Amino acid sequence: MSGPLIVQSDKTLLLEVDHEQADACRRAIAPFAELERAPEHIHTYRLTPLGLWNARAAGHDAEQVVDALVTYSRYPVPHALLVDIAETMDRYGRLTLSKHPVHGLVLTTTDRPVLEEILRSKKVQPLVGARIDPDTVAVHPSERGQVKQTLLKLGWPAEDLAGYVDGEAHPIELDEDGWALRPYQQQAVDGFWHGGSGVVVLPCGAGKTLVGAGAMAQAKATTLILVTNTVSARQWKHELVKRTSLTEEEIGEYSGTRKEIRPVTIATYQVLTTRRKGVYPHLELFDSRDWGLVIYDEVHLLPAPVFKFTADLQARRRLGLTATLVREDGRESDVFSLIGPKRFDAPWKEIEAQGYIAPADCVEVRVNLTDSERLAYATAEAEEKYRFCATTATKRKVTEALVRKHKGEQTLVIGQYIDQLDELGEHLDAPVIKGETSNAQREKLFEAFRQGELNVLVVSKVANFSIDLPEATVAIQVSGTFGSRQEEAQRLGRVLRPKADGHEARFYSVVARDTIDQDFAAHRQRFLAEQGYAYRIVDADELLSES
Amino acid sequence: MGRMGTTTPPRTLAEALRARDDESLAGLLRARPDLLSPVPGDITQLATRAGTRASVVRALEHLDRFALQTAEALAVAPDPAPYGTLLGLLTGDGQDDGEQLEDAGAAITEALPGALGTLREQALVWGDDDRLRLVRTARELLSPSPQHPSPTGLGPTVAEATAGMSPGRLQEILTAAGLPATHDPVSAVTALTALFTDRTRMGELLDTAPMEALAVLDRLVWGPPYGEVTPNPTPPVKWLRDRGLLLPVSTRTVVLPREAALHLRAGRAHRVPEPRPPVVAAVAERDPQAVDSAAAGQAFLAVSTVEELLKLWNGGGPVVLRAGGLSVRELRKTATALDVQEPVAAFWVELAYAAGLLASDGEADERYAPTPAYDEWLERSAQERWVALATAWLTATRTSGLVGGQDAKGRALSALGPDLDRSAAPEVRHRVLALLGALPAGTAPDPETVLARLRWERPLRGTAAGDGMDLRSRIALWTLNESELLGITGRGALASQTRALLTGGPAEAAGLLAPLLPEPLDHVLLQADLTAVAPGPLERPLAEMLGALADIESKGGATVYRFTPGSVRRALDAGQTAADLHAFLATHSRTPVPQPLSYLIDDVARRHGHLRIGAASSYVRCDDEAVLGEILADKRSAALRLRRIAPTVLAALADPASLLDGLREMGYAPAAESADGDVLITRAGAHRTPPRSAPAPVPEGPPVPDTTLLGAAVRAIRAGDNAATVVKAQPDAGPAVPPGTLPRTTPAETLVTVQAAAMTGSTVWIGYVNAEGAASQRVIAPVRVEGGFVTAYDHTADEVRTYPLHRITGVAELAE
Repeated sequence: MSGPLIVQSDKTLLLEVDHEQADACRRAIAPFAELERAPEHIHTYRLTPLGLWNARAAGHDAEQVVDALVTYSRYPVPHALLVDIAETMDRYGRLTLSKHPVHGLVLTTTDRPVLEEILRSKKVQPLVGARIDPDTVAVHPSERGQVKQTLLKLGWPAEDLAGYVDGEAHPIELDEDGWALRPYQQQAVDGFWHGGSGVVVLPCGAGKTLVGAGAMAQAKATTLILVTNTVSARQWKHELVKRTSLTEEEIGEYSGTRKEIRPVTIATYQVLTTRRKGVYPHLELFDSRDWGLVIYDEVHLLPAPVFKFTADLQARRRLGLTATLVREDGRESDVFSLIGPKRFDAPWKEIEAQGYIAPADCVEVRVNLTDSERLAYATAEAEEKYRFCATTATKRKVTEALVRKHKGEQTLVIGQYIDQLDELGEHLDAPVIKGETSNAQREKLFEAFRQGELNVLVVSKVANFSIDLPEATVAIQVSGTFGSRQEEAQRLGRVLRPKADGHEARFYSVVARDTIDQDFAAHRQRFLAEQGYAYRIVDADELLSES
Repeated sequence: MGRMGTTTPPRTLAEALRARDDESLAGLLRARPDLLSPVPGDITQLATRAGTRASVVRALEHLDRFALQTAEALAVAPDPAPYGTLLGLLTGDGQDDGEQLEDAGAAITEALPGALGTLREQALVWGDDDRLRLVRTARELLSPSPQHPSPTGLGPTVAEATAGMSPGRLQEILTAAGLPATHDPVSAVTALTALFTDRTRMGELLDTAPMEALAVLDRLVWGPPYGEVTPNPTPPVKWLRDRGLLLPVSTRTVVLPREAALHLRAGRAHRVPEPRPPVVAAVAERDPQAVDSAAAGQAFLAVSTVEELLKLWNGGGPVVLRAGGLSVRELRKTATALDVQEPVAAFWVELAYAAGLLASDGEADERYAPTPAYDEWLERSAQERWVALATAWLTATRTSGLVGGQDAKGRALSALGPDLDRSAAPEVRHRVLALLGALPAGTAPDPETVLARLRWERPLRGTAAGDGMDLRSRIALWTLNESELLGITGRGALASQTRALLTGGPAEAAGLLAPLLPEPLDHVLLQADLTAVAPGPLERPLAEMLGALADIESKGGATVYRFTPGSVRRALDAGQTAADLHAFLATHSRTPVPQPLSYLIDDVARRHGHLRIGAASSYVRCDDEAVLGEILADKRSAALRLRRIAPTVLAALADPASLLDGLREMGYAPAAESADGDVLITRAGAHRTPPRSAPAPVPEGPPVPDTTLLGAAVRAIRAGDNAATVVKAQPDAGPAVPPGTLPRTTPAETLVTVQAAAMTGSTVWIGYVNAEGAASQRVIAPVRVEGGFVTAYDHTADEVRTYPLHRITGVAELAE
């Protein structure tokens, strides 16, 4: 038997990871195929038009793609698929966006009928200007993103050769004193910089902030950083001061409480999307300086208004950072077309193998509801069902048992419903961090937790993102935002920062058996299972009898 | 033709045939098998039949382009024509501006004897080389007439075009052309013909022509040779007409005589003679091994797709449409299930049908279902299954490419439906594959050149279609596509297993294919994300079991399965136990069974069958368990088929009434209870019908007609009135036709009268007997009379109708 790759007619590629040629094959197909699933034996990649066009943009041609498939394929590759690849890739580059010395931004074509076709589209018409000659049409610079996005949807992606503005220069250096960028971080920075703009996908705890810092050190220009919330903004600032030549004074915070605009400005999505009288007053932040780089943290959470505005920023370099490019709203392709293609992606398990994130033991604890709880669950209103089964008293007991079991270890209890969390906090004698907790109080509690003065912390979903709790080794999830896969990934990420003693992290998900909770849990776990995190399932009764 | 032993040239086709030896006659009959049915009595009869129009048309349609061009050239040559003349018509007289390439001439000289041989063999041409004669019917078919422009684009000869021209007009032409006057029209025509065929004199004549006149000739020279003129033509046209270079056909049409056109064409009958078949060009040279394995991959996919399709229809497939075939919706559903485009789905469905693997079940509500042959087919090895499909495809006349189109009457053609047979399909398929086979192994041809070659081989069928492509080319294109789908070709090139199938036979092809197909595997890889991957085709029992236990997520060379609670439950429903499933997975997994998967199976098994469902018609309920035990123990209760399902409840299969009666007979005093548990009080039974609607009131008299109906009625009355009361003109003073009777005239009179009425646009009165034999009289205004039919505006019916002449009993003119 030869070849580690099986090419399916539905355009998925199955890679047998234990095969001796698996690594060579992975390198050959990585430029054009999207890694979809990476469980233990067979990894699944998918061929998409977007992936093929990104490969064209990166300088690969159809012959190379076909060659890679044919070389590593175990079985004959379906002819129709090869033809389809060639045809799809051939669509790229018929249209080019470039700078014209007289007319500014122009869209040119090498294939006149294509230009005619797209100009007839109602969606393109409002975006383009005068026809300069049969093969060229003017495009208003502010419509660059819109044009690209629309053309992509029409299936004629434009090659963007118009380049980037440098922005206002500002000296930024990495302050590599006693630490250095990890190899994959360096690769991510390089991949981004060569590609111009794009998204870097790294697991939680793998140091995405440093990739951002590395990109800033490359750009050496004023930078706008967009983050999810104020706590996260503070952490970015803290990290930048520590890791780069930037000083506190050079970094501004633009949030609900403070409105500083400095060479490096960190703004929250929330303040940008605040709406007054139908307008977004803070969007002008984008225009307030000649930014050389825009960084989008947690790009999978990018709110829709920012999308719209990002379309107008196509001349500036854009870097998106995320752990999971799974958007629950399915707008992944908008991220690709507006911020840029995926420039770097590393399977979680690979980084774990390199020792940069802690290995984790994921356990789903199945809780049996009591008879009276089952009856109450059966009669609950449909919209109350999840809340009911997710917050049962039995779960509380199991959670307490788990906390007891890991006494002395830094433990986070994460949940969705405030009542449940308050109750848990009371029983566990632990502080609760929720939406109404002030930022000062939050940072104080985090610091205490970091110092080991506090062992157990109960947090609501406000702490889902970008809180840095280096020594959390155990996370117990009691309820969540229904079936959100990326929330699950974020929460697991809380415990993946490498431990000083190389300790294995534990992630518990407490789930009520035979209820909707169990279905949601299965959906939530899918992303991580596809990243190779196998959930063990244990019965709560076993666990309780152990302790 | 040495049979007669004399050198006397044959005078008729029959004589020529008689002179041929047996083998050559057999060749004729082989090439034109229609001459054999029925077997002709003698050579004269054979010759007569070979000269019939239908047979000649058929023979001409089977000629390749060059043989046809040769026949066309002969049709415009003098009859009989010597070989040299024929050759000249094809190569030209070498007088043109060198556009004609020399090697084309050489190719014609080389190919002509062969083409002529074909024509002679098929009895389309006879006679010696110095007296070649095209059979008369073929000549009529191929030579130019105003109705059927010749394929050569040549017009009639001077002699033909001037027939019926006044001698005076001929004289004027002679004078204008600078020829000596003669009073004899025959010698005048000869003189004019001689002028047009004389290169030098004709050249001199044309040198004097105005430029515009030459431009006019340029437009007509390659045909069609007819042009429209006004009564007062422009000077250049007049110049040409005066000199006989344009001869009148009718008052408004002129024609360029054949001799003049040939001069302008440098003697060539065809603009582009095609002595050599177009070469089938290669687009790619591939490694023959890669081609074979690609084709084998596709062959494997074909076999699995057909299997999947029939598995889909295993429990009774889609309903057969009343007109036969599969509805568009069902086809779409099938396409979705197979994850292919609809035309491809139609191909698979038709393929399975052609291979006899599926058919209509012939039940009252007809459905498609697999045939018993399918079960046999399943038992065979993959390579044999492929050979069965490929063989069926090669000879099938059904063409799935037509599905989705419309027939001549605008009805949609549906998959598995009627009218999909195209008798040319197997022959075209074989030709295409033969052409592919003639290329070196691994060569993928350019489809366009394949089509060009096929068009060259059968030009007459090819030139017919005006809109888009002719049928043969379409079949050829479908053949190329289907070959790729079926694994006949791999990446465009013919696979060696197909070569074996075409030349060697099924066993040889299967033998070649077998090592290229993937070996069935006996294991899968289980993963913690609840998927199983089969990295190749699975052994049948394994595949079936896994198909029941998990859902298929992705198909192809490998199969990806996903375990879900639903899929595991399905397996448990099919009679498996959790222990069976664990053992099955442990046996067939190369790696340890992941914990979440075992947990899933146990978890589903734990709840499976927890609730039990059964059917009962009634029950017996009693708080005293002993009484129920007593009833069960009583033999007389056996007929009630009681079963204890709880200490205080018996379920019965008998209905409540029989149960009550039965228990009463046994001496108990049961009471019936309602759904809420209340005791039902028995009353005299009340019988009810099913829901019925109240009868509609019957009003007095007929319903009030609406306006449309009224309008139609008035029209009919008026028209009938018109027909009955008009005074009929009686041209021949025959007996007056009494009102109300049908007019009677002889068929000849009828024809003349309606023709006259069609010319003048007048209205006539006819008697007409319809197909059921009912006689009526109608007032019609004939529009057209042709082919035994009168098309007319019928005043009686107020629409245009067509009447067969033989059904018209008589006709009379209407007096105004």
